[in-house]
Amino acid sequence: MIRGATLAVAVSLALSATACRQTPEAKAEQARAAEAKRTQAVAQRIAQADANPTKVVPLAMWLMPPELHEISGLALTTRGTILTHDDNVGRVYEINPKTGILLKAFSLTGNPKEDFEAIAIAGNDIYLMTSNGKLYRFAEGADGQQVPYVRADTHLGKECEFEGLTYEPDSSRLVMVCKRILDKNEAKGVLLYRIALPLSSPMSISPLRIPIQEVEGSNKWKNFRPSDIAIDPSTGNYVIIASREKGLVVMTPDGDVLRSEPLPGDHRQAEGVTISKDSILMVSDEANVKPAAITLYRWHP
Amino acid sequence: MPVLKELIDVITMKSDRPMRRLLAYYLILGVVVLILAYFFPEAIQRISAKGLGEVSEGPTILTDALTSPATSASPFGPGTLIDLAATTVLIMLGSLALMLPVTWVYMSARPIPGHNQNIVQTLIILPLVVSGIVFIVQNSLALAFSLAGVIGAVRFRTTLRDTRDLVYIFLSIVVGFAAGVQSLAVGAIISMVFNFVLLITWRYDYGRNLLTPTASSQWAAPLQTLASPTGDHEIPDRDLVLSLTPQNAEALADRFSRVEKILGKKKKKPRFNSVLSLTTYQVPEVQAHVEPMLEKLAKRWKLDEVVTNTGKPSEIYYLIKLKKTVPRDDLLTALHEGSNGIIDSANIETANPVDGKKDGVTA
Repeated sequence: MIRGATLAVAVSLALSATACRQTPEAKAEQARAAEAKRTQAVAQRIAQADANPTKVVPLAMWLMPPELHEISGLALTTRGTILTHDDNVGRVYEINPKTGILLKAFSLTGNPKEDFEAIAIAGNDIYLMTSNGKLYRFAEGADGQQVPYVRADTHLGKECEFEGLTYEPDSSRLVMVCKRILDKNEAKGVLLYRIALPLSSPMSISPLRIPIQEVEGSNKWKNFRPSDIAIDPSTGNYVIIASREKGLVVMTPDGDVLRSEPLPGDHRQAEGVTISKDSILMVSDEANVKPAAITLYRWHP
Repeated sequence: MPVLKELIDVITMKSDRPMRRLLAYYLILGVVVLILAYFFPEAIQRISAKGLGEVSEGPTILTDALTSPATSASPFGPGTLIDLAATTVLIMLGSLALMLPVTWVYMSARPIPGHNQNIVQTLIILPLVVSGIVFIVQNSLALAFSLAGVIGAVRFRTTLRDTRDLVYIFLSIVVGFAAGVQSLAVGAIISMVFNFVLLITWRYDYGRNLLTPTASSQWAAPLQTLASPTGDHEIPDRDLVLSLTPQNAEALADRFSRVEKILGKKKKKPRFNSVLSLTTYQVPEVQAHVEPMLEKLAKRWKLDEVVTNTGKPSEIYYLIKLKKTVPRDDLLTALHEGSNGIIDSANIETANPVDGKKDGVTA
């Protein structure tokens, strides 16, 4: 009697599980259906935002899956999608920001565990940067693939704790932004290092310092600790965000600060920023009380 | 558990060889995991190999927080409370499934007969606790320090009889850690290799001193004696054989032959049908009191053994054949009468069925 009941429960569980199992094909079909719907919805929101440019409203806010709870940097691909990554593991995810669909994920060979803080795309190469200034260079991989990488040490880890990285196409340079200057005698402010590509030995590195007085503008920031940097594709200016100060600074590649303002929206822990060619500002937030997310805003250069 | 035992019996064709039974268990476990991995690939991936391998399998639709705020999100799915609870339960069950065979190996593959039940239970429970702790502490330095402080207040001062017990405890901690960091695959491999290596070293008596004879050669003679008086029969009870040391086997064999002599040859009526056991601090006095009584009230009797103890009463054993006219209770009452309290306890165990079953009466 008991065995019969156990068997019946097991069979019903197996059947219900079979019904619940989602194949990759089914997932792809669902994604296609959602894609069309969401593209339309986001386009409508963009149109509404353009109609009322003074009001800052999010165009979309995509919640990240558990493996991206510690989402960090953002980088824009030529296809208009964004690459992002987790803070701890060398795994890169591609997301379509207009539809909120996670398209694929690929890993560095052996899933190296480091404190990855930022990502940048330079031509066919992708760079992941660690907080101590090491750069992992690799090519884009297919879904589920492991890709080989080359690691280069900038030896700047003694000077700075890094949080942001971007690629400046006009000068073919990687731009690294320092979150915390380790030399306590150094004056407060924003410190950038620009490294010429292709990487050579020794590396061609040029620093750029902007004092805090110039950075803060009319804000009451005592310090400005950048968490990521992006290049505005329409102007070529640097857009730097700071998680602690919840601030956003725009400056020219020469270091002239153009704008200093609070970050739009409510961001608990803004870790990444990028701007698309059609002027959409994207900010990634690590999970902190609220779930990890990527939020989209209309960007007015 | 009975279902699992039956399954293992079917696979091993009721073999009692530990290696075969262990392989059968892992086979069943593997099949169960494969079935679960087929139906719930993400859940199994999450508990068995978090941070390893790939997580993506086709496109994933992310939640749009503007249309479905996180606060009103579904209670199901990744990152929800139910998901967390399910993961925790799976971690616990996983570590339990991995530690069960370890306890079997612990209980069976031992050079010293007998095992510590506390350790067996610890081996089951410890990984559950460790995995729970690690699951909570994961990636949090602050929690790790807090935990160190809390654990520092608890002191373990247990001395383990066998140094190998410590290795089992370490293994249970390892499995607990693996479960806690959601890498049960690593824990599974470690525990499997551990079990098989331990069984093999035990089976082949690895590390034996070359100057001492092998266990099998030591055991052969006493076990053959045990198996049959002529020594030409197969050893009937493998578990008994495995649980005995050579010294134990010899002692048991001596005792068997002594009892055999007392009871007489097979097919004859037993000369004695009961055992009278007495405990006392005054052995000679009790003997002087009891033996005349037995002469009068028992059909026949024989002093079997006197076990002298220090710090607790000594034991006296008599083999007796009761008279049909003198029931056991009457005999016990008679023994106590006039003993002036020198008998601490008296008990008669009889082989004769009373009301269809073996009985014993304690006075």
